[in-house]
Amino acid sequence: MSKLKLLTGAPNEIVMEREFDAPRRLVVQAMTTPEFIKRWLGGKRATVVSAEVDLRVGGRYRYVLRSPDGVQFAFGGEYRELSDERAVHTEKFDDYPGESLVTTTWTETAGKTTLHIVVAFESQAVRDIVMGTGMINGAGESYDKLDDVLASL
Amino acid sequence: MTPARLDATFSALADPTRRAILARLAKGEASVMELAGPFAMTQPAISKHLKVLERAGLISRGRDAQRRPCRLEGAPLRQASAWIERYREFWDASFDALDDVLEDLKKQDRHKAKRRQEKP
Repeated sequence: MSKLKLLTGAPNEIVMEREFDAPRRLVVQAMTTPEFIKRWLGGKRATVVSAEVDLRVGGRYRYVLRSPDGVQFAFGGEYRELSDERAVHTEKFDDYPGESLVTTTWTETAGKTTLHIVVAFESQAVRDIVMGTGMINGAGESYDKLDDVLASL
Repeated sequence: MTPARLDATFSALADPTRRAILARLAKGEASVMELAGPFAMTQPAISKHLKVLERAGLISRGRDAQRRPCRLEGAPLRQASAWIERYREFWDASFDALDDVLEDLKKQDRHKAKRRQEKP
């Protein structure tokens, strides 16, 4: 069963939350050091071809991965804010349109760390497409589930 | 879905007038005249938007020379909305693997702490 929670946020956001059984210091280290990133990013079946991290404001990161079926993909971005408990960076996948702004916070309680990620898309429209929710607004009408609308055609 | 197609879908949907056109077409097909009405737009202006939507495969135009009715095509939107599932699966699998890396790091930490205690 998935431990990754998807929460609601602002209209143009996707929010994810995940708990780790480790202190924040180690979680941040594992998430920002290329040597460790290569061991978990993409999951067990994917391969990290390269992981570059220039961890400073204005610095960039870039990950290149190969999925189990041999397809290569890459994403990266620039760090806008960095602190012990919070990081803000852009995120752009090589072959996909648009750039998101990702805000990550790490909160430690009793030796466990809660990771909270807010992915802000360029517009609500983009967010809604990727979520499959039909907030296509026109003449004051909105649709809760695009699938339902399309199925009724 | 190809990157080019996804790009076209996103661009098409980035405009509020085009989103409104799609919402109208979700209720049933319409002619250019019928679409232009609610927006107080000229037909050429609406036609520009329709061209973008047609190129993105989001609408199709009928053959009827008189009316050329526009019709909503749902497939590109359904394909685009699969993106979130792949994104979520990517991070879900990544964080599961991160659990194991953290166990290793905690072990290393405990070894280091033991060695510090054992030093005279």
